Amino acid sequence: MMEHEHDTHHVNYLYIFIMLCVFTLMSVVFDGLGIKGKTMFGKEGGGTALLAVLVLAVAVAKALCVMLFFMHLKFERNWKYVILAPTTILAIGLPLALLPDIGVHYYTLDVPQVHDSVDHAASDHPDAEDDSKEGH
Amino acid sequence: MSHSIQAPAAPPLKMGLAIPNSKLCVWLFLGTEIMFFTAFIGTYIVLRLGSPGWPDNPNVTHIRVLAGGTNTFVLILSSYFVVVAHEAMGNKNYQRANKFLIYTFALACVFLGIKAFEYKGKIDHDILPGHIAENSEQAMNKVVNEFQVVINEGLDDFVPGDDNAIVKSSKLQGRIAELKAEGGEELAEIETFAKLETEFKKLRTSVLDETITMVQVEHELFRLRNTGTLTTENDRRIYGVIGEKAKLLEYGQLPGDAAEESTSQSTEEMDEILVVTRDGVIMIATDDVHDITYEFRDRVEHVHDPHPIKYGNLFASVYFLMTGFHALHVIIGMILFAIVLKLGTNLDGWHDFVENSGLYWHFVDLVWIFLFPLIYII
Repeated sequence: MMEHEHDTHHVNYLYIFIMLCVFTLMSVVFDGLGIKGKTMFGKEGGGTALLAVLVLAVAVAKALCVMLFFMHLKFERNWKYVILAPTTILAIGLPLALLPDIGVHYYTLDVPQVHDSVDHAASDHPDAEDDSKEGH
Repeated sequence: MSHSIQAPAAPPLKMGLAIPNSKLCVWLFLGTEIMFFTAFIGTYIVLRLGSPGWPDNPNVTHIRVLAGGTNTFVLILSSYFVVVAHEAMGNKNYQRANKFLIYTFALACVFLGIKAFEYKGKIDHDILPGHIAENSEQAMNKVVNEFQVVINEGLDDFVPGDDNAIVKSSKLQGRIAELKAEGGEELAEIETFAKLETEFKKLRTSVLDETITMVQVEHELFRLRNTGTLTTENDRRIYGVIGEKAKLLEYGQLPGDAAEESTSQSTEEMDEILVVTRDGVIMIATDDVHDITYEFRDRVEHVHDPHPIKYGNLFASVYFLMTGFHALHVIIGMILFAIVLKLGTNLDGWHDFVENSGLYWHFVDLVWIFLFPLIYII
């Protein structure tokens, strides 16, 4: 009985595949717009944020295509929710737990990446050259 | 069930879901996989949000949208082929199923090939976790460290034994004196190396004393790489820094007046090679050049230019972690398909296996669908 019910849902997979290709092309076109790093909406990283939203929206659309049709989730019974809902919630847990301290800290991090000392040191002390020559 | 007395032939009650156990297992496994990859992808997003100045310039990170886009297409196409193969399995058209599984397997190979090509680019540029200098100080120290390795290799070549580099370095001079007395064939080679070692020590001292900037270090490396002897067609030998004018200008090798002179008339001499000697700049037409031998190039080649990448190590770590685990999944998927392909077209009873490995393969595709925009575009 189940087998037959399964087979009656006929999907034009080629159509889904073409949709996926179109979506992929859209991502590449968005990348080619050159909005990355531009100031938009009055914010410095506005362009990058817009690009991120656009390409991730495309990615979600593609993911839905694959999951609903290629993985047949559209035609599966309710057990799909029992399996996928808890895992999704748990999966999001880790990034959310990391976010407050690592992703959006209000303080300036004291890491080597934020101070680039040597270039300044070399140009700020023209005497340094003489000192070193004496030393050797 | 009220008619059960009349109908003893009713199907026995069955516990569980109306799907094969194997499929349920695959879905449960995919549930854990979702958590596994979301942890990586989520952590990457969080780290990136928290690291202002994350490297996103493709010229710095050597990330190519075209390579990623091609791989996206390759995986989507292979996913489609798996679906077609599964459909054919349902219709018991095993020949067609086998054909499309072969296509899928071939596409997986293409994917890994492109991936390997990308990895090679990263390795060549030393964009590896823990290898990347993140500011100019680290970049200069890295140059010194890599240079030291090159020098140590040279010392091992000329002074065999288990002594450390300092001892060997002092023995090198003794060896030169010996060879001079004996007139050995090695002499020219070892003298060149000794010259390079002296250059290295000078550079190391400047870096340690902070009397040199990163740009100057880069210029020094350029000078060492391009120092050599140019032989013209009529056997004239010129020793100096050899290169095209634009390059020499870019790397600050032209002396002040020559640089000024050249900017005024830089349109005509495209076919000329310049040699910056001690006494001045000599121009040689490209047609006149018979041969160029670079003095130190084969050794200094292994020293990377100082190009710091802010947050480069974090970037390289997450890049290799995510794409590496994804590639591992691709390989496992290929093994699953290989098991079916080994059976040829005799696939009776393998419907569920093909369906389940197909589900797994779609998941691998799914992960890449998210990795592509996150790594290659944003």
